[in-house]
Amino acid sequence: MNVNIIEIINLSDKQLMELSKANVLSLSLVEMKEVQKYFKNIKRNPTDVELETIAQTWSEHCKHKTLTGNIEYCEHKNGKKTVKKYKNLLKETIFRATVELNKKWCISVFKDNAGVIDFDKTNGVAFKVETHNHPSALEPYGGSATGIGGVIRDILGVGLGAKPLANTDVFCFGLPDTKSSEVPEGMHHPKRIAKGVVSGVRDYGNRMGIPTVNGGVFFDKGYMANPLVYCGTMGIIPKNKTDKEVKSGDLVLVVGGRTGRDGIHGATFSSVELDKESDVSAVQIGNPIVEKKVLDTMLKARDLKLYRGVTDCGAGGLSSAVGELGEKTGVIVELDRVPLKYKGLKPWEIWISEAQERMVFAVPAKNKKKILDLFKKENVEATFIGKFTNDQKLTLTYEGKQVACMEMAFLHDGVPKPTRQAMWKEQNIKKQSSLKVSNATLSSDIKNVLSDINVCSRDCIIRQYDHEVQGQTVIKPLQGNSITNSGPSDAAVIWPYTIVKNTKKAIVLSNGINPEYGKIDTYKMAASAIEEAMRNAVCVGADPEKLSLLDNFCWGNPNKPEILGSLVRASQACYDLSKGFSIPFISGKDSLYNEYTIAGKTYSIPPALLISAMGVIEDVNHTITMNLKDVGNDIYILGITKNELGGSIYSKVKNFKGGLVPSLDIKVSKDLMKKINTAITKGLIESCHDCSEGGLITSISEMAFAGEKGINIDADLIKTDDKKMTLAEILFSESNTRFIVEVKPENVSGFEQILKGHIFSKIGQVSNDKNLTLISKKSKVLIKENITNLQKAWQKTLQW
Amino acid sequence: MVFEIEIKSKKGFLDPHGIHTVSDIEGIGIKGVKSVDYIAVYRVSGNITVKQAKIIASELLSDKITEDFYIKEYETLEQKRIENNSIEVWFKSGVTDTVSESVVKAIKDLGIEEDVVVKTGKKYCLKGELNSKKLDKIATGLLANTLIQEYLIK
Repeated sequence: MNVNIIEIINLSDKQLMELSKANVLSLSLVEMKEVQKYFKNIKRNPTDVELETIAQTWSEHCKHKTLTGNIEYCEHKNGKKTVKKYKNLLKETIFRATVELNKKWCISVFKDNAGVIDFDKTNGVAFKVETHNHPSALEPYGGSATGIGGVIRDILGVGLGAKPLANTDVFCFGLPDTKSSEVPEGMHHPKRIAKGVVSGVRDYGNRMGIPTVNGGVFFDKGYMANPLVYCGTMGIIPKNKTDKEVKSGDLVLVVGGRTGRDGIHGATFSSVELDKESDVSAVQIGNPIVEKKVLDTMLKARDLKLYRGVTDCGAGGLSSAVGELGEKTGVIVELDRVPLKYKGLKPWEIWISEAQERMVFAVPAKNKKKILDLFKKENVEATFIGKFTNDQKLTLTYEGKQVACMEMAFLHDGVPKPTRQAMWKEQNIKKQSSLKVSNATLSSDIKNVLSDINVCSRDCIIRQYDHEVQGQTVIKPLQGNSITNSGPSDAAVIWPYTIVKNTKKAIVLSNGINPEYGKIDTYKMAASAIEEAMRNAVCVGADPEKLSLLDNFCWGNPNKPEILGSLVRASQACYDLSKGFSIPFISGKDSLYNEYTIAGKTYSIPPALLISAMGVIEDVNHTITMNLKDVGNDIYILGITKNELGGSIYSKVKNFKGGLVPSLDIKVSKDLMKKINTAITKGLIESCHDCSEGGLITSISEMAFAGEKGINIDADLIKTDDKKMTLAEILFSESNTRFIVEVKPENVSGFEQILKGHIFSKIGQVSNDKNLTLISKKSKVLIKENITNLQKAWQKTLQW
Repeated sequence: MVFEIEIKSKKGFLDPHGIHTVSDIEGIGIKGVKSVDYIAVYRVSGNITVKQAKIIASELLSDKITEDFYIKEYETLEQKRIENNSIEVWFKSGVTDTVSESVVKAIKDLGIEEDVVVKTGKKYCLKGELNSKKLDKIATGLLANTLIQEYLIK
């Protein structure tokens, strides 16, 4: 039999670490010693199956040891040092806010494969975003395809299964024009990674028949060898199907793809830095056709009430999935019954393989035949491999012999909690020196900002995705009058009328991310990302009080105090903002150890926090888009413009140092967004677009060329908090809480009435001359730019 | 027997994969490639006849309106020769090849009962200023991921 007993009881500390490294267990010395202690107590050595099971159950990917571990955080601010101790960062920040807010419309938060909130009386909506960074660095196409495949299975595996309605994807890549000679040996060129990742998401998402409706791409040289691939899926689930209830005696059914050597050590590998010699078996290949069949059939089985529990095989494979379902009861699995792609797999490989497209079900014995018949009829492979017990133990057998037997309590709660050190020092950041720019330069700056790689059109990516399939996408990723005239939509809206008959309700999806700010201050980055996600949703008609959030942290090595310190700051911001806005986080994920070694030197990625927002819109008729609608309408800017150009696109384009990262007044922001929502619901706003990367002039340009309309702006009417701000600073500042809004003349008084008490100003009109005309008497500036030229500038950069 | 069935766009029809490959090669900083013809290759091994191979090629693997197929027959793969200025990319054994799994099923659906093994490959025929060093760079830098694929060049 292919099972080895691994000597652990008598190993020295050094030998324990050698064992951990040699077998890619990614366990620390403290953890290895805990394992040693357990087996000393039961007076035997572990089998390889047991050791591998512990390693993956305790992996960073599955247990989130850093975010749930002890952290001693030391802050140096205003010459003072304060120390704060966290016993579980996640529970004391992000999750705490959710608990304290205690929203009645939250159905399932932070406990299942996805977060679920109320949709209507009978249905809930589930949303989850995952990362698949390491696999995508090694094999961009397969890595991203299985990333989206995996998050779709998360939605299938929430409660008793939700029906996926839409996908989202956000990527961070290295610069596509990187010279080949600068790409480290053994790693892919960033452009190859980018194209491969996009194709992977496209092929998997499109073949699953799920529209990809929202996303974003951020380029920075810091992601050259370690791209970030965030994939999200939203689905709808009957409220009476949101709980699993596995009972002793239920059978373990594995459904879908066969098990091969794919992705062995994927879970433990996620805690390892990338280098040239990275483990080859950590590559997964997806097969969307198999997953599509699983999806269609399992929803039928769900509605026939043929099973009591389901979860997906993600990181850690069967070990993780079966272990999760049987955590309370105990389980026995016969590994030789698992269907294999080819012969020759060892028992431990079968148990932890991350072969794709597999789901595990807990089926009452009486439904055994019915469920098998159903899957067989639809050509989906389904095999019973074991039984849930009542001994609270994990027992595995192979060809009749026991190859593993461990206490569930040890497996799931036995991981020791070490204390990590975190540190943050306040930096003295000042405004940049005053930016004075001539008339002509300002004109070309506007176009250069529009052409910047982090502002420019992503249509060459977006148009590869099917964003219409299922026929429920009301607000799509590109908006405008035609294929040639389009601008970026703020958020996506799905109207699930084919599932929920006669509903008027819709679901909004949006996101916010800006690692550029995080290079200066991760607290402000997190705050801005949260507000950006909310602003985007509010722009299309979402109620800011009915939004829910997902967090996805991608950080460097948390064993380095500065890096962990920046993570603590971002988590603290999540708590503050969630509480302040009174909107809960419902699920999240973290991917740490995103660093890579080139020629002996270690580089860490710029920390990135993706905030995804989801909300329910009461009436789909009250949604709007960002393109200008009619000549003669008035243009407003809502919110105040501050001298905040730290980490801005303009600072990159003009290559200047310093500048403040945008700050945020939660109270003002919350109230303003609510009022915008009221105005949209009353039909007083024709179009709305938020100001973010590239500043207000970028937003105005996008609205103009998407609507094929001209626009006249008097820049002197824009309200600022500092009279000394130059025109360039006003146009390109990236201050938060600002919106550009188009209002019909007859609605002006009603609109202004609602906005009373806020800082806003009417700055111009929609014109019929197809020019963006901007005047400032104060700065003696007159800019006239044809909107077609602006659109060309926006579209020319990414033509893949 | 081993049959390699090659599928190529007919003359006068667009070869989008080839066109994209040219721009992708430029995209990673390699100059001088003028054009690329893309050919999908299906290696079918098993006890089937030439006639059956033709049925598989014409009824299953190619589009009669836009694509041509060519069948190469080998006793063993050792007889195979790589064309000049071409790069072939194949999955390494043990790597999941989902297309081949579907092809095996579809061959059965065509009524061909014989057991076959199918592997899928990609062939790129390049024109322009080329040498073996450059071909190798294109293969490793763009077309083949040596983690899961192997490549053949000449």
